[in-house]
Amino acid sequence: MKKSHLYLVGLAASLAMAGTATQALADDEITRGQLMAASCKACHNAAAADDGVPELNRIPAEVIESQMKAFRDGDRDATIMDRHAKGYTDEEIESMAGYFSRF
Amino acid sequence: MHDFNRRNFLKVAGISSAAALTGIGCAANGMRGAEKAHIVVVGGGSGGATTAKYIKQFSPDMRVTLIEPNATYYTCYGSNWVIGGFAGMDDIAQGYDTLRDEYGIEIIEDRVTAVDADARSVRLSGGDRVSYDKLVMSPGIDFRYDDMPGISESDAERIPHAWKAGSQTELLRSQLQDMPNGGVFVMVAPPNPFRCPPGPYERVSLVANYFKQEKPRSKIIILDPKDGFSKQGLFEEGWAEHYGDMIEWRAGSSGGRAEEIDVSNMTVLADSGFERVRADVLNFIPAQRAGQIAHDVGLTNDEGWVPVDQLTFKSEMDDNIYVLGDASVAGAMPKSGHSANNQGKIVAAAIVRQLAGQEPINPSSANTCYSLVTPDYAVSVAAVYQYQDGAMAGVSGAGGVSPSGASTSFRRREAEYTRAWYNGITSDIWG
Repeated sequence: MKKSHLYLVGLAASLAMAGTATQALADDEITRGQLMAASCKACHNAAAADDGVPELNRIPAEVIESQMKAFRDGDRDATIMDRHAKGYTDEEIESMAGYFSRF
Repeated sequence: MHDFNRRNFLKVAGISSAAALTGIGCAANGMRGAEKAHIVVVGGGSGGATTAKYIKQFSPDMRVTLIEPNATYYTCYGSNWVIGGFAGMDDIAQGYDTLRDEYGIEIIEDRVTAVDADARSVRLSGGDRVSYDKLVMSPGIDFRYDDMPGISESDAERIPHAWKAGSQTELLRSQLQDMPNGGVFVMVAPPNPFRCPPGPYERVSLVANYFKQEKPRSKIIILDPKDGFSKQGLFEEGWAEHYGDMIEWRAGSSGGRAEEIDVSNMTVLADSGFERVRADVLNFIPAQRAGQIAHDVGLTNDEGWVPVDQLTFKSEMDDNIYVLGDASVAGAMPKSGHSANNQGKIVAAAIVRQLAGQEPINPSSANTCYSLVTPDYAVSVAAVYQYQDGAMAGVSGAGGVSPSGASTSFRRREAEYTRAWYNGITSDIWG
């Protein structure tokens, strides 16, 4: 086999790899819900869990949704989460809740 | 020429993909440039380190380099605990090992001295250049000593600002320790806008806590150019409850505006020269502006801060440079570590999406800020922000400060959450 074939096959393989990587990125597009969930991670992560701040990636999405709505609507007491929860619509809460388990 | 059968093809393809993997250095630049973009982040504080980490979280294949001159970063938040004498410098020290070893971020321990925006490269203090596809700058603040007659930056060794944490924090702490019982601690507070709006008032609270225990005849005077400050009602409620009349706050319109500092006599002149306030320990927190490098690159406005497209935090001056944190003009978002952390995530998402040819996300972010009035008594302010009409604006109906007149247990829980917040956010940024 000549060098030119090696080059061509290598080129084809590289192009195929590049195509796959681009596809993966597009499939995994960052969403607004994901960005909002990332915002919550400033406080809600493993390092703060010992101090009583829930680590949200261990909590089911539907529980996060119901508790955020309860904080927002005054159905659950809080020191600060009531003030945060009032900043989000139902749709926004639902869009962020599913992302915590993915971080 | 051999027949190109299936068996040979597989063998050759196997060899060449191995070659492609090991030979990324030469073949990669042309072929995979778009997906192996190089993001250079200048500044390893809350904004820069968050951006670097979250780019890697959102897009692990991207090459990220973080340039920061200090191996250890001392957070400004928490530094009042050290000044108040109930935490050490180790408690507010952060490093870059995890970002390097677990996230694959290249760490360069050096100072950026210049940016060549046309060539898309930065120059380091040693003269080396680092080229970038996108540059992120989180340069923090510098001080406007020229705004205050009588004092210059070199006087900070005697009259500390302690508004960048590190040796300045330790200096102010040791001066307070050396001060005799019955002495006067004077703080000259900065005009808006400045880093950490409640910070000066938390500081005097924790100095008062120290005096109350160790030097109860001492006095604290805040000379303020402003007529109000962050969480004012809550601070004043806590001061009255815990410190009696030890703390005196003088508003700008009531003679609080400092006009000159007589360094050799440790005296502040105010109220058109009618008032001369002598200090045993003097904490002058100067007016502020964006970090010097932002000025050198030509990214600042007439007020000394960096205007950005608040949808992405891309500089209004250069399409390939993003600026966040205290240095940026960020609408209603305060200059805080929490804001910088949230902005870092916005910038990371914006860069990853832009390089993938996607439109920016309309961002939503938050700020959470706790202040200790005593080590067991804290108050907070919270806000949620969304991009509206060209700026980050507070979502109406959300946020606000802790309730006034709250129970002791409510204040204690907020003090516990203050430490939780510190542990959480520093882990989110550097851990």
